[in-house]
Amino acid sequence: MTATKPVLRKFTLNEVDLNCDVRISSISGPACDRLRALGFCEEMQLRKLSNGRNLICTLCGAKMAISRDLAEQVFVDPIR
Amino acid sequence: MSDRSSIIALVGNPNSGKSTLFNALTGKNQQVGNFAGVTVEVNTGETFTPHGNKLQILDLPGCYSLSNAEAPLDEKITMDVLHGRLEKFPKPDLVVCVVDASNLERHLQLALQTIELGLPCVLALNMVDVAEKSGLRLDPAKLSEELGIPVVPMQANAAKGIIELKQALRHPFPLASEAFWLENEANGTDAKRRDFVNSVCELAARRPDSHQRTFSDKLDSVLLHPVLGWCAFAAIMFTVFWAIFSFASIPMDLIDGALGGFGGWVEGLMPEGDFRSLLVDGVIAGVGGVLVFLPQIVLLFLFIGLLESSGYMSRAAFLMDQVMAKAGLSGKAFLPLFSSYACAIPGVMATRTIDSAKERMVTIFVAPWMSCSARLPVYFLIIPLLLHEQEGTWMQALILFGIYATGTVTAFIVARILRGRLGPDKTPSHFMLELPPYRRPQWSYIFRHVLDRGWAFVRKAGTLILGLSILLWALATYPKTDSEDPGEILSHSAMGRIGEVIEPVVKPLGFDGRTGTAILTTFAAREFLVSSLGVIFSVEETDDDVETRSLIRDKISNATWPDGSPLFTPLSLISLLVFFIYALQCLPTTAVVAKEAGSWKWALGQFFFMSGFAYVASLLVFQIGSLLDF
Repeated sequence: MTATKPVLRKFTLNEVDLNCDVRISSISGPACDRLRALGFCEEMQLRKLSNGRNLICTLCGAKMAISRDLAEQVFVDPIR
Repeated sequence: MSDRSSIIALVGNPNSGKSTLFNALTGKNQQVGNFAGVTVEVNTGETFTPHGNKLQILDLPGCYSLSNAEAPLDEKITMDVLHGRLEKFPKPDLVVCVVDASNLERHLQLALQTIELGLPCVLALNMVDVAEKSGLRLDPAKLSEELGIPVVPMQANAAKGIIELKQALRHPFPLASEAFWLENEANGTDAKRRDFVNSVCELAARRPDSHQRTFSDKLDSVLLHPVLGWCAFAAIMFTVFWAIFSFASIPMDLIDGALGGFGGWVEGLMPEGDFRSLLVDGVIAGVGGVLVFLPQIVLLFLFIGLLESSGYMSRAAFLMDQVMAKAGLSGKAFLPLFSSYACAIPGVMATRTIDSAKERMVTIFVAPWMSCSARLPVYFLIIPLLLHEQEGTWMQALILFGIYATGTVTAFIVARILRGRLGPDKTPSHFMLELPPYRRPQWSYIFRHVLDRGWAFVRKAGTLILGLSILLWALATYPKTDSEDPGEILSHSAMGRIGEVIEPVVKPLGFDGRTGTAILTTFAAREFLVSSLGVIFSVEETDDDVETRSLIRDKISNATWPDGSPLFTPLSLISLLVFFIYALQCLPTTAVVAKEAGSWKWALGQFFFMSGFAYVASLLVFQIGSLLDF
């Protein structure tokens, strides 16, 4: 019997807890170019500050508000 | 050697300090605000290098990227200028990339894209004070070495680094740098830039490892709180309206006294006759009746400038996004609509920051329903009349707040309906907004901006209002009659005859022909109602203009229909207020709407719709109120 590799689930920015530091692993979706222009890039570290209709997070010292739809396109890994 | 000045373009992300730098370089007074999207068009100015070479400076709207096909209109303008696609602006000879030193990881992306265009560049490393306070360790020399372009550290709001920047702009300009980062092994242009930016920031702009809680974070914990944030928002908005009503009374009294004294002096100097009547009853009464409201206009612009400059405006847009969503709009429509409370013209222009074309059109359409400063003279005349009170009470402030709320709520309802009819966008737009750190307001710029707007108001009084005052005086004076009864003089005049013609149209709204004539004159300038009513109801000027305005109210409240019943009842006053809340009585606004919407059809449609809406609303209020014996 062959052992199957566990598939690591990707977390979106929407699923991150408040005041948690995470690193962006990938950006995928129709608005990824716009997100990258704003500064949401792979390997960038960010902290989520608030939830709601629009999220607030800090990114490289700047505070950004983005909609939940956009946050769904940002995939992150926790920083240990 | 060419006689043409060299053209220098200022490029950077929104909120990087381009306009502040532009003002510092050129000595001009472009509006600055701590809010993304304050600059929505290209502003030009001139400066000289220390060697006496003249430079033309272009302040371009902020943008995040030069390669975004779905960018809002203001960003597209920047892209077009840099690519030399706009006839009005030749391709710049050099670009100054203005970056926020505390945000280099994000701002350098745009600088790299600019260098890739093959244009000579200089990097203005702005806000170095903010960067140092946040613990960043900057190395401008290393940054310059890595980028291959001159880097000038500066603090534009304190005019630090301006001389050094001008030195960097001396002839011959630095050569365009090679975009050598595109040669690295990463997959894709974005990735190549990203890797380069990360390595440069590691060397030249090291960030402290831990997240530090700043003053802005502490303030945001209240101002963005789901409950406290809304309380703060409501308190700030109400304070602004209350302050406009209360604080302005002292300067208003001074202006009143000065104008009244001037009118009396002119009257004493000249013999009785048509020319004296023209000057005293036409010009001084007409123009003075509008000028007296200058303090309230100034206060309104002052508060808006303070809110923008401090950084609070973006927080307000964030909070308002969920409310605006109910109207089919986004939080980005908040600044254009809020600006329209001062004047719809900059509000309509500010819609260039809205990504969605359809949302932009809807915002332009409803913007005039944010009661602008020109309506204030009308409201301040009528509200005390309604309450039988002197000016300046808190009840009047509450009514004023209610008037603004009425216009705003109606605008949201119509926006919702219109947005639904226009259908969804081809590409869905999303809410994204930078929340800049709170900053001390830049008082010198705010005051200069307020003075500019105040002067524009005075200039309008001295031109359009003056012309209308003279026209109205002539209509009320000629043709003459031998009678000395003011009522017969008026009914015999051209104005009286116009009033007879339009009275059947306005009577269902609770107005007679005189009021209808006064309303007609306001389609050129709303604030002219005060002057019109003064002329039409033959109010004599006194030395004190507060007393004069009080006399206008007395005259109006004592005016009657031919059968002796009062003309201005509370119901007809409310009907008049409702008319002014909804009517579009500003030809310059219609012209700007036509330009921004790219269609006179849209502008005229808006004009006729709003005029018709105002008529019907006023009609319903008066007729239903009459049925209920109000």
